[in-house]
Amino acid sequence: MSRALVMHPKDNVATVLEDIAPEQNVEVEGNEETSTITATEAIPFGHKIALRKIRPSAKVLKYGEVIGTATKNISTGSHVHVHNIKSTRG
Amino acid sequence: MARKKATPTFWGYRRPEGPPGGRNHLAIVSGMDNSNPIVRRIGSLVRDATPVNTSFGRALMGEDEAQHWRVMGHTAAHPNVGAAIIVSLEPKSANAIAEVAARTSPWMPIEAVNIQEIGGTLSTTSHAVELATKLSDHLASARRVRCELGELTIGAECGGSDTTSGVISNPVTGMVADRVVEAGGSVIFSETLEIVGAEHLLARRAADRKTGRRIIDSAKRAVDYAESIGVDFIGSNPAPDNIRGGLSSIEEKSLGAIKKAGSHPIVEVVGVGERPKKKGTIFADAPCAGVENISSLAASGAQAIVFSTGIGNPIGHPISPTIKVTGNPRTARTMAENIDVDISGVMEGTMRIDEARDLLENELISVMSGKLTTSELLGETELTVSRAALSL
Repeated sequence: MSRALVMHPKDNVATVLEDIAPEQNVEVEGNEETSTITATEAIPFGHKIALRKIRPSAKVLKYGEVIGTATKNISTGSHVHVHNIKSTRG
Repeated sequence: MARKKATPTFWGYRRPEGPPGGRNHLAIVSGMDNSNPIVRRIGSLVRDATPVNTSFGRALMGEDEAQHWRVMGHTAAHPNVGAAIIVSLEPKSANAIAEVAARTSPWMPIEAVNIQEIGGTLSTTSHAVELATKLSDHLASARRVRCELGELTIGAECGGSDTTSGVISNPVTGMVADRVVEAGGSVIFSETLEIVGAEHLLARRAADRKTGRRIIDSAKRAVDYAESIGVDFIGSNPAPDNIRGGLSSIEEKSLGAIKKAGSHPIVEVVGVGERPKKKGTIFADAPCAGVENISSLAASGAQAIVFSTGIGNPIGHPISPTIKVTGNPRTARTMAENIDVDISGVMEGTMRIDEARDLLENELISVMSGKLTTSELLGETELTVSRAALSL
């Protein structure tokens, strides 16, 4: 199965380790327990997949830290990138 | 419940005082660029001698001169050095560097040699070789003894970074750094420009307010300098190739870089080549470029350096063994002779992240116990001292 790595238990995104196609199942590793999530869209290698639903202006967490805030609704399994999150540094 | 893994030990050279060494170099240390050829020549004539070249050194002033002497003196007085000969053009710099070294490691036999007073290439070489053979005899009696992981200070550097660095090799380096700190040792990380964007998060990890302020100030100085030469550093990051690689914000890019230093509170900030006073996670306000960075980390006392790389870089430090670790399967294959620890199995699904951590930790122990790194084996070692000011 395709894999994604989560960096910290608090994170709401994980990094995919290969190119992911829509509807593909992704195994999420890095936490105590491995879980499976279904990608809603294509996600290129090294990009992020949403582990949970993220509401507009909610914090996006990777490495247990805030890497930005959501600019729109992000559903579980979707591609998280510059089109739906923005830096907090302006 | 899983049994807690015993803290590993390594075989090092116990010094009369200060931390133990993983090497017992007879270091021939150049005081300035013009002395490098003689230093190399001495290195070629004495089998056990390790030549340590430098950059600049002549006509420096103020803080620039102090920084140069500090880095070269701290390199000569490194725990991996058993005895040192400083070779410089004239007596002032040779003696200044020898004084810094003697203050740092009072136990160490240190000789200062200057070319002008001894008189030319041949006499200086002959004199230094004679000194070196005597010191080499002295070093030959040293024996390795069992040392604790907590007696280590490791340097963490990332160079030739790509997506795999932030996802695999930096986090794994950080896990090993955490183990060293938990055992009572230290990790030093730097590359000021790479903390920009996450300096506010890093400052929150500072053990006290003064340290937090120094982290913020270090980043601000870098950003202000970029602005003064017309570069909008925050606005231009992440760069288009970073975005293609999956980085969505400058915070994410910087967090991936600083992950190599683990997760513990930052207890102190030091300048280029300064020796920390505290133990734990240390930030050094030093430049990003590989050779400059490892030169600063080693001068600050890192007995070994973990160099996390994505697309690869062959370079290591002449005194502080530099362990190359990569999570990129292509680099592990195409630059195999330059890679010490291949954890690309994490990418390919054949290695778990905790297995990668154990592999890197075991390599650190082996290297500190005498195993040569790829850069030592191939002679891919270099040192350069960062400039604090302009050349005039």
